[in-house]
This record gives sequence, C-alpha cells and structure tokens, in this order.
Amino acid sequence: MCFDEGLAFPMNLMEALEIIKRPIAEDSPTLAISLACGFTPLHLQTFLRAQLRLRFPDREIKIDTGLFGDLLGNLERLRWEQTDAVAVIIEWSDIDSRLGIRNLGGWRPADLTDVLQMAERRLQRLFNAIQNLSQTLPCICSLPTQPFPPLFTPVTYQSGEVEMRLRELASHLGASLAQLPRVRLVSSQALDEISPLRDRFDIRAEVMSGFPYKLPHAASLAELLARLIHNPLPKKGLITDLDDTLWSGILGEVGVENICWDLESHALANGLYQQFLASLASAGVLIGVASKNDQEIVERAFERTDLHLPRNCIFPLECNWSRKSESVQRILRAWNISADAVVFVDDSPMEADEVQSAFPAMDCRIFPKNDAPGLWMLLRELRDSFGKSFLAEEDAFRLDSIRASAVLQQSAALSGTSQDDFLRDAEAVIVFDCGRSADARALELINKTNQFNLNGRRISESEWVRRMSKEDSFLLTVQYEDKYGRLGKIAALAGKLEQQQIRVDYWVMSCRAFSRRIEHQCLKYLFEKFEADKIVLDFQATERNRPLLEFFEQTKASPIGTPLELTKAAYLARIPTLFHHIENKTHE
Amino acid sequence: MSEQNPLLVQCFAAIFPKLPVDQIPNATTETVPEWDSLATVTLAALLEQEFGAPVDVFDLPELNSFSAVQNHLKKHRQSQ
Repeated sequence: MCFDEGLAFPMNLMEALEIIKRPIAEDSPTLAISLACGFTPLHLQTFLRAQLRLRFPDREIKIDTGLFGDLLGNLERLRWEQTDAVAVIIEWSDIDSRLGIRNLGGWRPADLTDVLQMAERRLQRLFNAIQNLSQTLPCICSLPTQPFPPLFTPVTYQSGEVEMRLRELASHLGASLAQLPRVRLVSSQALDEISPLRDRFDIRAEVMSGFPYKLPHAASLAELLARLIHNPLPKKGLITDLDDTLWSGILGEVGVENICWDLESHALANGLYQQFLASLASAGVLIGVASKNDQEIVERAFERTDLHLPRNCIFPLECNWSRKSESVQRILRAWNISADAVVFVDDSPMEADEVQSAFPAMDCRIFPKNDAPGLWMLLRELRDSFGKSFLAEEDAFRLDSIRASAVLQQSAALSGTSQDDFLRDAEAVIVFDCGRSADARALELINKTNQFNLNGRRISESEWVRRMSKEDSFLLTVQYEDKYGRLGKIAALAGKLEQQQIRVDYWVMSCRAFSRRIEHQCLKYLFEKFEADKIVLDFQATERNRPLLEFFEQTKASPIGTPLELTKAAYLARIPTLFHHIENKTHE
Repeated sequence: MSEQNPLLVQCFAAIFPKLPVDQIPNATTETVPEWDSLATVTLAALLEQEFGAPVDVFDLPELNSFSAVQNHLKKHRQSQ
C-alpha cells in the first residue's frame, strides 16, 4: 500500500518529518492544498505533506488549515483562487459537537433526538459548502472515520436506531457528494483495511491537543487523501492471454467445448477474470488478445455464448505462433498508444518476461493459477490501474471507433482511391463548440494525449477552472462522426484572444481521429470564427508529438519555430481540400 | 553534559530542521524560535512512538529543553 517501498506502512512520524525536510529547488512550483477539518490537524497535516512530497517531488507543498472546531466555517471561508485542491475531513463531532468528547452538551435520550435533527441540517450545509467549492476545485472528502463515544442507550455491541440514523445521514451525504464531478471520496472500505477501528481514536491526544487520531490512523488517512489528490491517469488498454488465463484449458488440446470458466469446473477464477475484463471494456478500456493459438479455433471459441467477455469487446485478436512481443507490438500499433499505458496479463512467467523485456514501460502481470488470494489481489490492482471516477460519453464507443479506423485505413488502401476521394465519401460531420466552459473531457484529453499535443503541457483541474474564468480565454472542443462511426469529442484547443490574433497554448487531438483532416479544419474554423489574421501557437517539439510537427511542416512554408505563427492567407492556401460538414454547437 | 541519546538528537533534528545538530543539546524553548506548542506536541508524539515513553498532558509544559526531555526519558526508563 505504501507509495515508497523503502518506507514502513503506515508511515511513522519520524519518516514523515524526514521526507518533509528533503531539499527542493527554490523556484519549484507550489502545490497548495487546503486541509479543512474541525480538529487540530497536527500530525495529519505532517503525514499529508510527506505523502504529497513523495507523489509530487518537484512541487513545494503548501498546506493551509483553518480554525479549530469550525469545519463549516473553514469551508465557507476558503479562497479557491489560491488553492489547487481541498481535503475535507468530516468527523462525527463536526456534525454535532455532542458526538465528540470535548463538549459536554449532554447524552440523554432527549439530547440524542435533538442531535439527529441538528445533524440533518448540518450535513445539508456541509453538502452545500462542498458542492460550491467543487465548482472550482477538486474536493477530496473523508466521511467520519472515528468510533462513536458510548453515548447511545443500547450496549456498545448493539446498534440502536439513533446510531443507524446517524450513519444513514452520513451515507446519504457521501452518496450525494459522490455524484459531483470534482469530488473524490475516500473509500471507507480501503481505510478499514489499513486502519482498524480500534486503533483510530486517541483519547489522550484529543484531550491534550484536540487531535483525535492515533498516529497510524493519521498516516493511513493521509496516504489515501494524497492518492486521491494525486489522481494519476488510468491506463488505457489491457492485453490478455487466452489459455489458462481468459479460460481454463489449452484450447488447441481440449477443444472449444472443453475450455471452461465456471465454479463447477473449478475454473471460477477465469470466469471472474472474464467478468472483470467485460467491466473494463464497458468503461472504455481497450482489451486486446495476444495468444499462441490458431486464429480459426479461437474465433470458434468466441462463438460460445456463455463467455462473459464477448468477442466484440476485443480488438485486436492476435493469435499466431510468433513471439508474444510481436503480437503486442501489432496491438499497440492498432491502438496507437504507448506501452506505458498498457497492462499485459499472461499465466506464463516466461511470456510475461519476454514481453516485459521488449516493453520495459509496460505493466506485465502473471495470471495466478490455483491461487484465489492472488487473483483477488490482481483484480484489485487492475481496478486501481484502470479506475475512473466518471465515465465519459466517449468511453462507450472508443473500441468501436478504433475498429472503424482500422477498417477505414484498410478499405482506403484496398480500394486504391485517393485520400481525397475517400474523405469525400466519408460523410464526415464536425461539431465545433467554442466557449469558456471548463470542460472535463477537454481537460482529460489535454492531460493524456501525447502524440497530437502542441507542447506536452499538462494542467491541473483547479488551474483549468481558473483559466476558463478569464474573460479573454476560449476553449474549442471538436466532435466528429462519419459513416464509419462516431468518435465523440476528440480534440480540444484552448487559448486567448489578443488584438487581431489568437494565441493558442493547448491543442490536443485523440490519435483515433488522425488522417481525417480534422486538425486542418480546426485552425480554419478559428481564423473564421474570430476573424483573425494570425494564429500564434505555443508549439514545443516533444519526444512524442511528431504528428503535430508533420502537420505544421505541411501547412507552413517557413521553418517551424517556437512560438509558431500562421497567417490566414498562407494557411488557407496550403491546406488540402476539406470535405467535412460543419455544425456549431450553440449556447443559450 | 550528560551523554546524548542519538535517537533523541534525531527527533530534534526532524522537528527543527533549521537547528544545527551541534546546537541541539543546548536547545530550549527560549533559544529555538520554531519551538512552539505544536512542536512540543509533535515532540511528545515522537517520544511515544520512538521510545515508548508517553507524555502526560500536565507534563507537556516541562518539556522545554533538550535536557528536560532527556530527564523525562530517564525517569520513564527508571519507572519501567
């Protein structure tokens, strides 16, 4: 669980203080976090700072805290302009101080009835405050983690109505918060696993300093908070083996009818794995197969209707007798993504090693045979690699559009028609949406696109929202569809308007949308929309943005520099014919 | 000067990173500007974690110098 394998888990206070002391360059950018809680944050703040230093080694970590005993006020006073994210720690005593031990407000049954009534109102106010903040900031929230004091009338090992009503109210708050786009909730289950309830409350520290957590609990909670603040991008694709992995049995030996994946055949692990991959596929994860098998028999195996992972969830299906790494290479090419965004799963350690040597950046896993705990761990780790807070519309048809792209390229090559003829017949429709919305899909594209990326710059959620609140900024998003399928929102271009010119500092396009001249249309649209004479682009060559460089080489006569200037007349004279039907999304 | 406990010196160095190590044995709340009540509470937590020596809330104000902390640890050892 611990981020740095050299450290104990949970981290101890001395380690945390040592990590905080690590030198950092004076001009390092700041990561400003607001830690909002009703207690003295003390060691939680120390552990959080240390965990963030591990995850953001090049950032100066600044943690602001508020007033003791006033969580709600701390949230309402928070200055979002100076903060990158807020961590909200809610404990029972923040819902009503009588649920803590520092205020002697009464634990009589009549008091508890009043506590319930107050709690409902208090939680509504907390929700409103967090909802308000989440319009502009990522909010990482933790619901009550502490045990109740012995304030209820039943014995401590019996749950009574008041306790259950309070838990219901807290759960209701959690369910409401989880629906907000920029809110990420700490998983109670994950916290329970690493911080047992009996080791959480430190009554001595609570009395002495107003800090209610035992050190290991503070360390555990800080680690989960830091992970959610860090929020790394999920992996994009999974390449799986078939025999003794997706199903039990060697297909070529036992035949289509005798491969299995159910409890009765002692192959539940394979069934669970199939079910898990189907879940990933439906969330937009690309699933490919690399198997040493004959393609024909594998295709027949996928005709079995009892498979939990249907054939149409898989692309490409690479079945041959060559090295696995060669199949993996072809799959990466079809997906047009890099090895570091992919997980490879195979039951053979030798095959996993061979692929790992060919692609050191790939996460290669061994499928555990006859090892139920190993499978449980694998599925959990895979979920952590691919987990998403929200599914975008594009997740639903990503695989279809990649498959359609392959068909498109194949049919263009086979038909022998020119690219012009092909694109003319594609019936392409581009929908442009230009405005100042802090669009979440555009942010996702900016932070995960490598190839068609103007300069490789990434941007945090809070910076993104701040940027879009400025009067002179704009965001152009691009949706695309043609007769081969719908690609959805595949490009974003952000910049600001200056006198007679447009300055563009973010421009990304999904690799699924290459070869359709969408990029040509984007700049043409900008020139026309803003009646500008010149577009200045903050282009920076990176190790991976060759496609964008090639686009500029094609559309600009003079050498490619930084920044890069395009004039309207010269640009329009150099671009090829565009066949798209253009639609504008209008805003009321 | 009594023998210094290296682990205790390490604790002080962790809490007061700006304090030169050779000045730690002479450190007091008067001479170290960063030594405030929060630093004392952090020190108390480290004493419990690293030495298994809890500090009573009423003893906190007495932890006002390196030598006072050493004495606290000595008393704790003797009471075991």
